[in-house]
Amino acid sequence: MAFNVLVVDDSAVMRQMVVRTLKMSGVPLGTILEASNGEEGLFILQDQWVDLLMLDVNMPVMNGEEMLRRIRANPESESLPVIIVSTEGSETRLSALQEMGASIVRKPFAPETLRDVILRVTGVSDAEYYGTVPVSSDDSDF
Amino acid sequence: MPNTTEQCLSRVTTATFEELALLFPETQLTDEQAAAPLDVAVLVNFRGPEPGRLLLRASEQILPIIAANMLGAEQSGATPLQRDALGELANVICGNVLPAIFGADAIFHLDAPRLIEPGYMPVRDDDRPAARAMFGVENGRTEALLFLFGNAPARSRPVPPPAA
Repeated sequence: MAFNVLVVDDSAVMRQMVVRTLKMSGVPLGTILEASNGEEGLFILQDQWVDLLMLDVNMPVMNGEEMLRRIRANPESESLPVIIVSTEGSETRLSALQEMGASIVRKPFAPETLRDVILRVTGVSDAEYYGTVPVSSDDSDF
Repeated sequence: MPNTTEQCLSRVTTATFEELALLFPETQLTDEQAAAPLDVAVLVNFRGPEPGRLLLRASEQILPIIAANMLGAEQSGATPLQRDALGELANVICGNVLPAIFGADAIFHLDAPRLIEPGYMPVRDDDRPAARAMFGVENGRTEALLFLFGNAPARSRPVPPPAA
């Protein structure tokens, strides 16, 4: 299965960094879509099938918290896996986002950190990511 | 001496450069680094319990390195993108230094980073940075300045130690 991913962030640089990390993550990717705020992201979700949403919090027009609230209120997208990628430092706001079922990755992030969360959220197994480990046919007793 | 605003800014700036730009800022500048001009600057204004702004200045010659490390060599050639990369560093520094100073329950609203003219410093009658951190980076340098416009004496405010 290939994952269609929507990256919503008002920073073009951060969108590129997230896309770059996605491509290095080993997750099988389909289409990668981008939006610069929550409203643009919701428009894309109306027209395109998305398997994973990477979402910033502080954005103009519509912030990530509001976008996530609307996604959860829509039966068609209520179970969409969401990873928040943000500098947001307020525990109050982060708790509210987690209660809406989002995973959190704080900026600055090491690419491996983001990759690990992507693998966990998408359910891509270690075997799929690392490949199967050959087992020797050693019959010795233990 | 307890953690100060200055130590927070220094720690957060170092961590942000290391993790996002894969660069290791040095507190002891070489002669070459010390002589490099700070000719590019980005500004992030914020509102919250104390309004203020974060200014990040850098030597132009380190921008291609920052952009290449953040975006990959094939994406980093354009000057606007290099300056956007510096803006993203400023945004992340600002977003992390404020909860480090004011606590994790404080809610701040950050404006988008914007490039400012060379030589420009924010102008207010009482403008003096609450904290300043200067580092050598590759063959240039970078400087982060935090301005707080509240009444509290930010420089001596104790802050919690970093999470283990």
